[in-house]
Amino acid sequence: MVKPPRLWIAIAVALTAWTGIAHAQTKFVVGNAGGSSADAERKVFYGPFAAANKIQIQEESFNQELAKIRSQVETGNLIWDIVSTTAINVATGCEEGLLEKVDWSKYLDPKSFQGVGGISECGVPYLFVSGGLTYDGNRIKDGPKTWADFWNVTKWPGKRGMLYRAEQTFEVALMADGVPPPKAMEVLAGPGGVDRAMKKLEALKPNIHWWKNGAESITLVSTGEVAMTYAWNGRVAAANKTNNLNLKIELGAGHVSGCQYWAVMKGSKNKELAIKFIQYAVSAQPQADFVRAINYGPANSEAYALLTEQEKATLPSKHMDKASLQLGKLYLGFWLANGDSLLQRFVKFAAQ
Amino acid sequence: MLALVAPSIFFVALFFVAPLGLFLFRSVDNSEVPGWLPRTVAALSDWNGAGLPHEAAFRALGEDLAALSGSTALPLLGRRLNHNIPGFRSLITATGSRVDPRRDGSMREQLLQIDARWGEPVYWQTIRRERHVLTWFYLLTALDLRYGTAGGLERAPGESAIFLDLLGRTLGISAVVTLLCVLLGFPVAATMAASSPARANALLILVLVPFWTSLLVRSTAWVILLQNQGVVNQALVGLGLIGKPVPLIFNRLGLYIAMVHVLLPFMVLPLYSVLKGIRPELMRAAASLGAPPWTAFLRVYVPQALPGLVAGASLVFVLALGYYITPALVGGPGDQMIGYFIAYFTNTAVNWGMASALGTILLLVVSLIYVALGRIVGLDRLVVR
Repeated sequence: MVKPPRLWIAIAVALTAWTGIAHAQTKFVVGNAGGSSADAERKVFYGPFAAANKIQIQEESFNQELAKIRSQVETGNLIWDIVSTTAINVATGCEEGLLEKVDWSKYLDPKSFQGVGGISECGVPYLFVSGGLTYDGNRIKDGPKTWADFWNVTKWPGKRGMLYRAEQTFEVALMADGVPPPKAMEVLAGPGGVDRAMKKLEALKPNIHWWKNGAESITLVSTGEVAMTYAWNGRVAAANKTNNLNLKIELGAGHVSGCQYWAVMKGSKNKELAIKFIQYAVSAQPQADFVRAINYGPANSEAYALLTEQEKATLPSKHMDKASLQLGKLYLGFWLANGDSLLQRFVKFAAQ
Repeated sequence: MLALVAPSIFFVALFFVAPLGLFLFRSVDNSEVPGWLPRTVAALSDWNGAGLPHEAAFRALGEDLAALSGSTALPLLGRRLNHNIPGFRSLITATGSRVDPRRDGSMREQLLQIDARWGEPVYWQTIRRERHVLTWFYLLTALDLRYGTAGGLERAPGESAIFLDLLGRTLGISAVVTLLCVLLGFPVAATMAASSPARANALLILVLVPFWTSLLVRSTAWVILLQNQGVVNQALVGLGLIGKPVPLIFNRLGLYIAMVHVLLPFMVLPLYSVLKGIRPELMRAAASLGAPPWTAFLRVYVPQALPGLVAGASLVFVLALGYYITPALVGGPGDQMIGYFIAYFTNTAVNWGMASALGTILLLVVSLIYVALGRIVGLDRLVVR
């Protein structure tokens, strides 16, 4: 009889042991936006939670394409357990059965989330992002104060960076046209609203530089390629911190704000764990730590008690009367029904 | 012989032809409407489409929607019909969750009470038109056509007619990029073919190094070079050649520069392999027979180079048609190509019918161009002998 070589036995033993270890640890996968916000989430949410529960958390990048959630659920080939996504995706995914419905009142206090539009059946808000008027304080001393100033290219010459999307851009155009920010969505959905927004954009169009992702907006304004831009507050703060810039975001001009939500993928084998994770991530202490990590607003109002006055000053909370909110029936209903056809109209408009 | 190619034929059939066929089928697939509204479809088949349908159709729709209530089919049906008319989605979901077929009285009144839009014929006409398992809707939309209220076809209104422009722009950009690649690539390939092996290798590496670099890196590098505050503009301003920066990127010019740079190796490599096979004695023979250099080049060199030229040009052209990352990074809003919209409809809008229809139209146009090219140039002349 041939004796099995020792090496092979060693390998076999090692393999068995390795797979044993791998099985012992639950693999928990999160779909998130990547970049600087994922770095903050890793530091504040994933790291501590994984250590406390002895699990391994893996991340996958997700650019809010609903098709990515849909294909996983419909083919039964679930890769993620939870996903970080937008209000529109939560609403659509919930209706179409792509996300788990959870009775969150059993796990969380819904009152703490009232300030940001509340918890929905399928999603729990965990950060509050504001898009606002941004410029480089080193290049412009006498900064713009309103969206009408953003449109004023005689006083502040130079290009303007704007999001290449109908949603958010139309709301901003209406603010520039004199609509009070909280009324922007109502005017847009009302008769003649879209035409009014497009007419306002038409006036600025020769000076607009359209951007498609958040990183671009920061590059454009910090290199001076554009004089001012629409940008999201967390990215502005992160750029100031890491690249030592002096970007200013003028939220008092009016801003378009909404939440990013955690949602459990339909059919996740780790549903209990997912709920536990969400419960942890939206609790007061991690929420406050998250603000320190990236400057997005907390969704849980209890977190404010843990923040210093200086930290609170970086948040949009004192400008909430100047917000066009990306939540609620009107907003969701309008963009779900008209999103596609308006994007087509917008693209045609931008190309001419 | 057949047994040897069988695995690759099998592979191509399974992983290319079958998925492609399924994808193309999506552009006419309409199983949702007749599948989820069976009673309504039956009730509407004998309706002539004028005015509002009869009570039986209202009743059938009420029953169909009530049957879907609570299931995920209801929002999916809403999403499908929302492609035809914006707002149809909420009409379907609201009606489905509130309708009660067991309630006495006219279903027509009940539906009108839930939403007055059921009193507008256009919603009924749309369901009637989409009652078959196949639809022309997506392909017509991809050609900027739609059904008029009278039933015939009409051009889509100006603001939503974007796809023909888009197709023309995609073909135009690809054609210009191909032409520029031929003009720039031919001298390079000819020089390489005429050089000593060592020099040809050195040149080949110069062609291949950018070829091996990631597409994203190369596109982004052009942004850094060409933007208003970029190296090129600052150098020109610094030298006093121009007063203020000229826009070199985020427009058509920037797109051409970046795309030609990315695609040039696809022109040079096939061309080089063909040019290397052309015997230099033939040019000398032409000269000794009295042909001036230009005539010898056109009548002896170019005809032999033609297979490589056509292979390179068609490779560049087809690859250029599918570009969407480079235009997104270095082009302006007027430079986006059809690939951008196919990706948008596939990923973001989850309107696979539309994505597939745009792909189908593009495939048809490319096939037509190839058939025409084959007729004009003659496919048999393109075989490398």
